[in-house]
Order: sequence, then structure tokens, then C-alpha cells
Amino acid sequence: MRVVIAEDQLLMREGLSLVLTRAGFEIVAVAGDRDELVRKASAHRPDLVVADIRMPPTHTDDGLRAALELRRRRPGLPVLLLSQYVQRRFAVALLESGEEGVGYLLKQRIADMDRFVADLRRIVAGGSVLDREVVATLLDRHRRGDPVGRLTERQREVLELMAEGRSNAAIAEQLSIAEKSVVRHVSHIYETLDLDRSPDDHRRVLAVVRYLSA
Amino acid sequence: MTVLLAPAPRWTPPRRRALTLAVGEVAVGALLAGLAVLALTYLDVELTPPWQAALLVLCAWVYVAAGTIAWLRRPSSRIGLLMTVGGFAWLAAALVNTEVPALVAAGTVVTTLPIAVLVHLLLAFPSGRLPGPVARATVVGGYVVCLVLQAPLYLFGGHGPLAAADRPDLVTAGEWVQRGAGALVVVCACVLLFLRLRAAPPAQRRLWALLSAYGIVAVLVFPLGPTVARLLGDDGLTVFVVEVTVTALAPVAFLVVALRGGFARTGEIEELGAWLGADAGGRPPLTEVLAAVLGDRTVDLLFRVPGERGWVNGAGVPAVPPSAGDGRGVAEVELGGETIGAIVYDAALRPRSQEVRDAARVVALALDRERLTVELRASRARLVEAGDAERRRIARDLHDGLQSRLVLLAVQAGVTAETAGNGAADVAELRAALGAGLRELRGEIETAIDELRALVHGVMPAELADGGLAAAVEALADRLPITVVLDLDEVGGQLPPAVETTGYFVVSEALVNAVKHARADELTVSLRRMPGELLRIEVRDDGIGGAGGTQAGHGIRSMTDRVEALGGSLRIDSETGAGTRVLAELPCAS
Repeated sequence: MRVVIAEDQLLMREGLSLVLTRAGFEIVAVAGDRDELVRKASAHRPDLVVADIRMPPTHTDDGLRAALELRRRRPGLPVLLLSQYVQRRFAVALLESGEEGVGYLLKQRIADMDRFVADLRRIVAGGSVLDREVVATLLDRHRRGDPVGRLTERQREVLELMAEGRSNAAIAEQLSIAEKSVVRHVSHIYETLDLDRSPDDHRRVLAVVRYLSA
Repeated sequence: MTVLLAPAPRWTPPRRRALTLAVGEVAVGALLAGLAVLALTYLDVELTPPWQAALLVLCAWVYVAAGTIAWLRRPSSRIGLLMTVGGFAWLAAALVNTEVPALVAAGTVVTTLPIAVLVHLLLAFPSGRLPGPVARATVVGGYVVCLVLQAPLYLFGGHGPLAAADRPDLVTAGEWVQRGAGALVVVCACVLLFLRLRAAPPAQRRLWALLSAYGIVAVLVFPLGPTVARLLGDDGLTVFVVEVTVTALAPVAFLVVALRGGFARTGEIEELGAWLGADAGGRPPLTEVLAAVLGDRTVDLLFRVPGERGWVNGAGVPAVPPSAGDGRGVAEVELGGETIGAIVYDAALRPRSQEVRDAARVVALALDRERLTVELRASRARLVEAGDAERRRIARDLHDGLQSRLVLLAVQAGVTAETAGNGAADVAELRAALGAGLRELRGEIETAIDELRALVHGVMPAELADGGLAAAVEALADRLPITVVLDLDEVGGQLPPAVETTGYFVVSEALVNAVKHARADELTVSLRRMPGELLRIEVRDDGIGGAGGTQAGHGIRSMTDRVEALGGSLRIDSETGAGTRVLAELPCAS
């Protein structure tokens, strides 16, 4: 699979290259700033773009802007954004560019190679991945007297994994319960939070995140 | 304390010029009058040597000269005027020695008047005003003794232009009455001087004691002179010279002490305002100016500053104003109906506080400025302290937290290298054991990364550095366990970094306070760019209120310090039961 990397920090770029190469990805181009990323990702038509959110020229959210631009030109282009810290608004902005094939993770997650590579493959396959810290932040906002507070502990866990972008099967495996139980929990969560039913595992992240962001 | 003499102003106020002119005219008048007296002096070498008459005129001139200097340097004190009057009294007394009968008669009547003036001077020093009814009665008594009780001596003495009869018995009786009354006046004066001495500030007590003793001697030297001359068998001439010298030096002594008390060549209180405004650049500190103008070296200033319940001194340190009875007076300075400070002065030097209050009124604006400087100094010190404390905290967190964790990791890595796979049967088992050890290591490293991230966040939130104030406040609100309603749409474009960090500090401090203390259900944060390059930050809660108050907490104090350091303002409305509203306005012209 062909990947374009955008990362201006040399050490981080090395680490990323190492992980990706070992996982069998082919790095076709490396970009150091926003314009370079847009140019190279447009030229190489990769299967995946992995970009740091913070990079030149403004050192603020250039990676995110480039990613949005790229996905506007080529809807569905799989993009993983990495960041030193997570912020809800970045997650929401990314998901709103289309829920398929997006990911938003803390940089340090690349150290857990197996999990990271699994996340990459889900993104390439059209899924969405949200860092558990973003999800925890979102859930922390709902503690007192709102529908989330009425969920059971297990249902909260399921909601958390849903928000991270996991499929029912993955949730079942993670929590060591039957997939049928997961389906039951999910439908209960939908009822409690009054969410629109979504047929697809992959299309429910934005709904959950939007609900939790409101 | 150094001698507080203000440098002479480069200009002379109009009033001063008029005064200088008037005083100069008086001095010239005294000079001419003295010359006239000398010209008219009856020259009979046998009876009165000419230098003897000249000595009296010289003495008069010394009085007038000393009086003129004191008058010019301290127009508001009457002591200079009194000395000048004393000089003319001496001139009048010297008329006795002239050839003109009418002038001799006048001189005869006032011949002992200078002694009464001396008593007056002594009791009125240094303000030139008599401090109470007893002092006034004593001085009046002195004049009566010298002017009225002197009458029998020249009326019944049998010679001279005013002699009505030759009645030695009446003269003797009159002399005794005069001596008795005179003694009473002197005793009263001594008691008054002693009482005043006891109330005097310690620093001035010795000088005043010397001056008082000298004054009493000068008062007594004429009445007792003849007796002393008789006892010593002197012809009276030597004693006379001593008498005149002692008396003539009295105003010089007064002048010297008055100058040590801080007489400076400054204007009257009314001129103080103009003086202060004259040369703002090289202007001496307000305390020195006041010390010079009030002629009181002990003048001190106290201030009211926001955040302190009581008074603070010029260094911003809490201070206690002197209580009544220890010789210090306190005149409060008001500006716009608010007490902003106080002038502490020597009450003995100024029995009436009116002048100090007048001065207070004039210098109110300057004092307000001084007060702001004091407050600024204090808040600057607090900011530096807060910065130091923050650095200490960071250093401690790095040492105790991250560094310890890294050391542990190194140890763990070493142990894994040494022992992982010991006793493994084959390569597969070895790999499994090594992998498990390294995975554990990786987990620990990730924890260290989390810790580092939290630490960096505490120093400067990445959201603030990268995304700006609105983004950082949003992220902050995300982490709070309470609903926070945000109104951040009108923050506008880029803000200066200092405004962003200070704004963030205010919002986070206010939010943390609300969560910790206010028992609030809902918080509102509003950031708004106002016309005039002003960022308005408002944090409101629906909690119990009652925050702030007179004794502001540490958090509120540091919020205020940081906001004011940028020239902004901070207000906290927190009535009990009505929630709390923190309102900060920061100038944000970039």
C-alpha cells in the first residue's frame, strides 16, 4: 500500500517510516509543510496519507487543513492525522469531511505497532478511528443528569468503543462478550441517546461524536 | 535619614516675588531706621560711648536679618515676622540714646519691650503661633510686665522727659511689682517649655532643650544683669556687652534650629501644586517635597492600595499609622471621595493640622500617582514570586515525576536485557520472553509520555500555543465536569501572545474557582473583542457567590496582578447567593 507522510520533525518522521515500512506500507513521498503535502499527495495518488496536524507554515493546524483540502479534491481519500495532543474540534472538523477513511490519533500511539497498524488498515478500508483520549474527553463532558449518565457501565464502554470507530465485532472481541450482546447494547444506546439509526458500523461515529459534542 | 532639603526650584512663583519684594522693603527700612537712630544718637563720650549705642542698633539688625531669612524661607510660619518685629523693638529701645526728647520718651516707654518679644518668640517657636491659652496668657503677661509695669520707673524716677514726680518709694515699689510679675511670667514660660519638650519627638528633644535653655537665659540676662554686675563689682559696661550679645544671638539660634528643622527655600503650601507641576522630570520624591514645604523632616506618607485592608508604606509593606498622643499627626488625603493616603507629620511642629490638610489637598493627585507606583512595585514583586514558584513547581515535577520514571525505565530495560529468556528451552521461548519484557517497557514509556504531555500542558497548553485563546478555552471547558456555555465567536483575529496567555490564565483561574468553591451548575465563558482594541473576558456562574471581598484570595490577587500588568482591569461581582461574575478587560492592540 502506498503512503504519503507529512511530518516536519525528523525524529518523528524516522519513527513513522520505520513503523510503516515494517508493516509493509510503501512510502512514496515525504512532505514537510502544508503546500508540499497537498502537492505530493495529489501527484502520487496514495492509498493513505499520514500527516502531523501541526506543521509549517503556521505551526498550528496546517496538517488538518491540507487533509481537508485533499479530501475535498478526492472524497474518501484515507487520511490519518497525528497530533501531540488531542482536541475535540479537530476531530469534529475531520469527521465532517466525511466519515469514511479518517483517523485522528495521538503521536505516541505509533509505539503500539500492532494496534496502530490495525487502525491504519481500518482507515484504508474506509473505517474511522478516533483516539481514546478524544473519546474520553467527549464522555467526560457528560456526567451529570443527561442521557449518557443513564447508561450502564457496560453501555458506556460500548459507547466509548463505538466513538473510537470500532465495529460491533471488534467491540465484542475487546470486551470479551458475544456480538449479539453488543448489538443489544448498541440499540439500547441509540434509544437512550435518541440517535438516528445507522445501518453501518462505520457510519455511526460522527453521530455519536456530534451527540457528545453538543 | 538624610537631610531633606529640596533643591531650589528654577523659577520663582509670582507670590514669592511679591513676598521677596515686601520683605526686602522691610529689611531696607530697618537698615535706614537703624542708620537714622545712629545719626541722632547723642554723642557724649563721657556718658555713653558711641559703640554702646551702636551695639543696640547692631542687635536690632541681627534680629531683622534673621527674621527676614526665616520669613522668606517659610512664608507660612510667623516666626520670621516675629523676629523682625523684635528687631524694630530693639530699634525703638535704642531711641533712648538719641538727642530728640520725643524720641527719647518713646524709647523710654518701650525700653524693655525686646524682652517681651523674646518670650513671645520662645513660646511661639517654631510655628510662630502660640499653642494654647496658657501660652497666650503668659505672652500677654510678658508684654504687660514690660510695657505697663515699666511705667512707675520712668514716671516717678525724677528725670527724663516723662518724669512726673520724684518718688523713689514708688519707684522701688514699682520695681518689686515688676520683678514679681516678671518672675511669674518666666516661671510660666519655663513650665510651658518643659511640657513642650516632653512632647517633642526624641530626635528634636535635645536641640529644643538647648534652644529653650538659651532663650530663658536671654530673657533673664537683662533683668538680672545689674545685680550680677553689682556682685562682680563690674562697672556695668562688660555686663552690658554680654547682655546685648546674648540677646542678639537669640534670633540666630532660632534661625539655625528652624533651618535644621527642614526650612528649605520652597514656596508656601498654596504654591506647592505649581511647584510639583513645574518640573516633573527631575522632581524629588513627594516625601521630600512635603518635608521641605512643611518644614518637617519627619514627614512620612502612608497609602491605601487595592487588595490591602490597612495602610502600606512607600515600599508597599503594611504599616500602622501612629496613634494620638505620641506627638505625630495624621492628615488623610482624599481624591474623588476616596481616601488614598495620609501624611504623617510632627504634631508639635504644627499644632494646627489645617496647613497639612491644605497641603494634602494640593498633593492629592501626585500622591495618587505615588500610590500607584507603590502598588505597582508590590504587584511586580508578586508576579516575580509567582513566576519563581511556577518554575520551582516545574522543576519538582520533572525531578520527582518524569526523571524518576525514566530512571525506573532504565533499570527495567537493564533487567530485561539481563534476565529475559533465562532458562528458555528454545529460540521461540526466548523471543516470547523478550517480547513480553519489551512490551511492558513500552507501556511504561507511554505512561512517561502521558506524564510529559500533562506537564507541558501545565506550563503552556498546546491548544493555546497552536490554536489560540478560543481553542484553548474550548479545550479547557471540555475537561470540566460542569456544563460550560461558550460564547467565543467574537474573539476576532490574532491576539498578542501576552493577551492570550493572560486571558487563558484568567479564564482557567475563574473556572477552577467556580468548580471548586461556587457549587455552580452552569458556567458561561464569553470572549469578545470590543471597540478600542479591547478583549472582554467574562466568566459567570450560577453558584453561591461570596468570592473576593476585601481580603482577596491568592488566585484573585494573581489574576488582578497579571491583568494589570498588561494595563487591563479586572472586576469581580460576587454577592452571596447571586453567583459570581469575573470580568476582565485587556487592551489587545497588536
